[in-house]
Amino acid sequence: MKIQRQSLSNRIVHALTAISIFGLFFTGFGQMPVYKRYMLNEVPFMAWSADYHITLWWHYLFSVILIGVVFYHLTYHFLRKEYDILPKKGDMKHSAEVIKAMITGKEEPPSEKYLPEQRIGYAFIAFWIVVMIITGIIKAIKNVSGIDMSLEALFWTAQIHNLGFMMLILGVIGHLAAFLFKPNRRLLPAMLWGKICSCYAKSRHSQWEEGVQQSKEVLKHHGGDEACNNYKH
Amino acid sequence: MIDNERRLFFKKASLGIASGAMLLTPKSSVAKSVANKNTIGSYIDLSLCDGCKDMEVPKCVSSCRDKNSIHFPEPELPLKPYWPRKNYEDWSSQRDRIDRLTPYNWTFVESVKVNGEDIYIPRRCMHCDNPSCLNLCPFGTIEKTKEGMVTIDRDYCMGGAKCRDVCPWEIPQRQAGVGLYMKLAPMLAGGGVMFKCDGCADLVSIGQNPACQTACPKNAIKFGDFEEIKALAQKRADEIGGYLYGLDQSGGTGTIYISKVSFDEIDKAIALDKLEKDDKKQGRPHMKVDVKDNMEEASSWMAASLLAPIAGIAAAAIAVHRSKK
Repeated sequence: MKIQRQSLSNRIVHALTAISIFGLFFTGFGQMPVYKRYMLNEVPFMAWSADYHITLWWHYLFSVILIGVVFYHLTYHFLRKEYDILPKKGDMKHSAEVIKAMITGKEEPPSEKYLPEQRIGYAFIAFWIVVMIITGIIKAIKNVSGIDMSLEALFWTAQIHNLGFMMLILGVIGHLAAFLFKPNRRLLPAMLWGKICSCYAKSRHSQWEEGVQQSKEVLKHHGGDEACNNYKH
Repeated sequence: MIDNERRLFFKKASLGIASGAMLLTPKSSVAKSVANKNTIGSYIDLSLCDGCKDMEVPKCVSSCRDKNSIHFPEPELPLKPYWPRKNYEDWSSQRDRIDRLTPYNWTFVESVKVNGEDIYIPRRCMHCDNPSCLNLCPFGTIEKTKEGMVTIDRDYCMGGAKCRDVCPWEIPQRQAGVGLYMKLAPMLAGGGVMFKCDGCADLVSIGQNPACQTACPKNAIKFGDFEEIKALAQKRADEIGGYLYGLDQSGGTGTIYISKVSFDEIDKAIALDKLEKDDKKQGRPHMKVDVKDNMEEASSWMAASLLAPIAGIAAAAIAVHRSKK
């Protein structure tokens, strides 16, 4: 009784974003002189982690992947006019209501394809990814022979890049912390295999027209709406 | 050949794209100069330098110390180790050492024997064309002045010593117990402040000569318009049938050494001396001839970063087109 929630394109984008961001976290942290100090390079097979040129090479590679994926994502959804993930007015208030309901076990307000806190989380992470890309590209340009920048520009680009690094870590922690709440775990398979339970979609995302329609079609073959009578997420 | 052509293409392409990107950025805040070749450079003529052997301290060293002593670190004692490691870098009790680079000695004269002849080599920052210390400093605290001097902002340096690790000659030296890290998380991050020759950037910016040149009694050190300096160095090398060092190393630097003796031999002599004295500490740079440009691949990666959006947009357009079929 499953319906399609995430297309293959979205899942690939999500996977590549996650891989590149984790790669950028690790290699970016490696650009801070910490792995040698904290002796990570003394762990078997990790000697390379203290070599700045190796971590820089990987940092560049992951950043190129991330930049490509970001532009793919923006263009793809722009051309398809899909804007479900963009924040809407009142999302902060509705997020608080949804979280409160998850904690107290009371009934949640109905949601669209995405929960309001998902839209806010997306905007937060997207904003800091953009900041990281802009400052990262400035840093990459600066590395090229023939281009000098003033100390102020160097300093603030580095500081904003470092701040963005911390904010993105917070964003990712927040993103993963969502799965501390049991109802949210139902969304996990969607990003892996693309599908979610139709009863879940119908009950939690009742304002997601396409999802509800799909659910009805699927449930027709399983005894209609009654198939979800005992469903609890 | 093909590799070289491809590299040249990437370099040109990326510089073109970079120039475009820089034009879109406010001039005063970002773009300082394009084509960052040093406008002011120097040569050090080893055929003239006698290491001021009759003096207690070579003049270039003493003048450098005199000029820069106001910047020397005064660490807060007792010094604490770089947790979880048990060490810290402290030169404050060896301020008088002039046999190597330290936070209290930004230039020193290396002295070796090659084929029975004494060779004296004043050593300090080479002021690279595209310095890896500047490019890879994670806090953006290293600058190249418009004249070409590479300077460290000591107020914001965290002393992680990455600049020393990525410097082909390991020039910057660290003193613990000073700087910004002491105010943030001294136990966990940072390690002091990095110190090195700043090319007397303050003097150079007002058209004066650095202290070492002014003090040198043999006129072995000369700063000036770098194109002229290069020509003079080449002329001198031709005259003495000698060698040059610094033009090709690390992708090009703002310092040219002139020597009658090959730099291979000088490097071997330095290495041998260090071996004999069991000297494993930093601060006595090598003089290897083959010093690769650590930032060599930067232009290819920048081009890739700037082409990635085009690839992303094209892939999305194809994906959307296929999904509509």
